[in-house]
Amino acid sequence: LTPDMEPIPCKPLFFDLAMNYLELPSLEDKLESPGKKGASITG
Amino acid sequence: MSKDTNPKEAQIKSAYADVNKYGNNREYDKAIKAVNRILGVAPDDQTALHCKVVCLVQLSKFEEAHKFIEKNRLTSLIFEKSYCEYRLNRQQQALKTIDDGIVQPLPPNLKELRTQILYRLERYEECLDSYKDIIKNTSDEYEDERRTNLSAVAANLAVDKNKDVPDVT
Repeated sequence: LTPDMEPIPCKPLFFDLAMNYLELPSLEDKLESPGKKGASITG
Repeated sequence: MSKDTNPKEAQIKSAYADVNKYGNNREYDKAIKAVNRILGVAPDDQTALHCKVVCLVQLSKFEEAHKFIEKNRLTSLIFEKSYCEYRLNRQQQALKTIDDGIVQPLPPNLKELRTQILYRLERYEECLDSYKDIIKNTSDEYEDERRTNLSAVAANLAVDKNKDVPDVT
């Protein structure tokens, strides 16, 4: 009484590759040590 | 000015060190707390605002991230804004955000996202052309995944029996 099986297209696999571009901005200029900064100001 | 770093600056610097550390470890729940410490004393710090958006998106808080972008008028964060819209299933708006952004030619991040939006919008022919272009011009660690996506586009095009299955080899 169960209906016959029939093939249907499967949902294709699809990756979210845009997510890999989601990164924190560069923090380089925020992380320099106070000592280093002081030295550059005072020479 | 005193030679000593003032307390506010020291606080910000130490918080940024934490953002950096937790960000590198992908511990975005901890990173966002450090970001909030910065915004507590420097609410207009553009880098911190950007960091907060990235943390929220990484934590899958797309609605909150989108509202935060709008409230703080972070108009330069086109990719982040469009990505939120994409994940919130607002594909037309996501496409508009990119296309209104007058960034031409699109950088790789916007190009990749725009192509995925075309897929969700079922604009498979444009999507196919866009993937072919990306694949031709990119060499990164996701080439296999991108070819899988290209096959998905081809599979959707193949559903239409009036059209030939595109050659994606």
